[in-house]
Amino acid sequence: MGGDGGTEGGGSPMTAETAIAPPAPTKPARTPRNLRSYLTRNPVVLKELRGRMRGSRAFVLLTFHILVMSGFVLLLYTAYAASANAVYSGFSGQLLGKFVFGGIVTIELLLACFITPAITSSAVSGERERQTYDLLRTTLLSARSLVLGKLTAALLFVLLMLLTALPLQSLAFLLGGVAPEEVLISTGLLVATAYLFGAAGIFFSSLMRRTLGATVLTYAFALLATLGLPLLLMAVLPLSAFLFYSSPPPFLEAVLLYTFGLLVITNPIATAVTTEVLLIDRQTAFYFTQSISNGINLPFISPWLPFILFCFVLGTLMTLIGIQIVRRAER
Amino acid sequence: MPAIIETKNLTKRYGKLIAVNDLSLNVEQGAIYGFVGPNGAGKTTTMRMITTLLQPTSGEARIAGYSVARDLRAVRRAIGYMPDFFGVYDDMQVWEYLDFFAACYEIPEATRTNLITDLLELVDLSHRRNDMVDSLSRGMKQRLCLARTLAHDPQVLILDEPASGLDPRARIEIRELLQELSRLGKTIFFSTHILADVAEICTQVGIVEAGRLVAEGSLEEMQRRIVPHRRLQVVLLSQAEQAQAALIGREGVIEVRVLENGASQKTQAAAQVLEVDFTGDDAAVSGLLKDLVGRGFPVLRFTESVHDLEDVFMHATKGIVS
Repeated sequence: MGGDGGTEGGGSPMTAETAIAPPAPTKPARTPRNLRSYLTRNPVVLKELRGRMRGSRAFVLLTFHILVMSGFVLLLYTAYAASANAVYSGFSGQLLGKFVFGGIVTIELLLACFITPAITSSAVSGERERQTYDLLRTTLLSARSLVLGKLTAALLFVLLMLLTALPLQSLAFLLGGVAPEEVLISTGLLVATAYLFGAAGIFFSSLMRRTLGATVLTYAFALLATLGLPLLLMAVLPLSAFLFYSSPPPFLEAVLLYTFGLLVITNPIATAVTTEVLLIDRQTAFYFTQSISNGINLPFISPWLPFILFCFVLGTLMTLIGIQIVRRAER
Repeated sequence: MPAIIETKNLTKRYGKLIAVNDLSLNVEQGAIYGFVGPNGAGKTTTMRMITTLLQPTSGEARIAGYSVARDLRAVRRAIGYMPDFFGVYDDMQVWEYLDFFAACYEIPEATRTNLITDLLELVDLSHRRNDMVDSLSRGMKQRLCLARTLAHDPQVLILDEPASGLDPRARIEIRELLQELSRLGKTIFFSTHILADVAEICTQVGIVEAGRLVAEGSLEEMQRRIVPHRRLQVVLLSQAEQAQAALIGREGVIEVRVLENGASQKTQAAAQVLEVDFTGDDAAVSGLLKDLVGRGFPVLRFTESVHDLEDVFMHATKGIVS
């Protein structure tokens, strides 16, 4: 943040009278012109970023993140190189590129699922606990600015973490085998995931009085969304397999397939995997059909699109409810 | 004088508990209003209602003419509120803290730098500008919080226990700061249970107990109203008993007591002190003295002891809460 330098300058001593001379009439412009003016206009964003980037905390966290990722890539590389020589016909740079890329995206997805809520789940409840909540509410700061500011600042930091992993991801480009649409789609998935889980953290943080409760609920939500689906599938798949063996009526088959599709788009990792499989097997990033037993082709959309829509809708809903909770005066 | 804070039948109920009961008070523009009462009397609840933080169960409050229930933004622009806790961010520098709150009051970035310099100057923290808020002493934190409440140049300062938990020196500094701000035209509404502060600087006093405003007015008014009689001290060289007998039954005299050793040590051993509870104006007091002297009693000193605020406080509150 470059705010520090500019505010140091004017140090001329003033008398007490000028101290509380009325400030120049303020004209709060409603529509921010660009990103920078939005960021500096919302005091919460500025304050959060200043606090987050202060000292060695952010530096240590980012360094640790890159080290872990580097170690992971090294592990992948060694494992692949060993197995390629032993099992496959030889070393394929393209396959390794896909492994590295897929591995990093998966880790980053988990990061977006579990780091973002860690930052946002204390957003509002932390202010309550620090007893600064009342101070903020007697200022002209709106509930919207507070909540959106916290969310924006958290997302910016997560974005920074994702950015720092970019050099490692570009190793995949060096090795080949990764298409531009894969990069775009994975970026979209990452941002959408961070948004959803950040918004969930904000929501629970404004709902709960204490950060502890907010954190527990947020992580329960994150676990349900990431692990809940695989567990559910384990319960559903045997059932559907049983039905498929006894050749179910086409209607039921269609319902099952679409239910399965809906379940996939509530889970970032399932979405990523399914999208990648579709890209490889069906060569499509958008639309495909699946034939069922009576020969009808069912239309499907590649899950990343509805997933991003799902994240956006649910995340925005949670943010709006969070704003309402903050806005409501104490009764 | 127009009232800048006005509450009418303000009431706050939590279930069966009535925290604030039918409270109507008026704070005049430019006043330093001491809001006095024992712990749990409803001071903080009242303040939270007039700062828009808490919705009243019934009744209304207006600040500078704006309704606390409807014109939230106008009220918030008019007030600077300091709660009874510090409320500081630990990961911020002093100037950043002020910058953040100034921004929350929509003060443009360009004017904030000078504003912060001036505010720090005012509360005497210029030398700590780049220190972490966490490293300040309690008194300094309190002054910083006071500077924060001034960021948007509010008309009214609402301060909850501004002097609590401070050492005597810091308390006096805060007190002087409040007087300074009053000279600059701010209306100051503050709660306290330190009566010395009230007696020292307040122009208006409201005493609250068990959620009710039991007395309100200037200090002198309250003294007259709550403890209606005057207390005269008459130091005589001798003949205290005779003087006592002479005074009892005189118009306006409620009670006459002979104090054994009163103020005698300092003067002559023979001096005796009479304490007279008396109602009447200054002319009547003068007449009483003339009468005593006329009858040949050896009056050494004749003074009126002023009731201090603690008398007033003890009279007004009946210890319902405490």
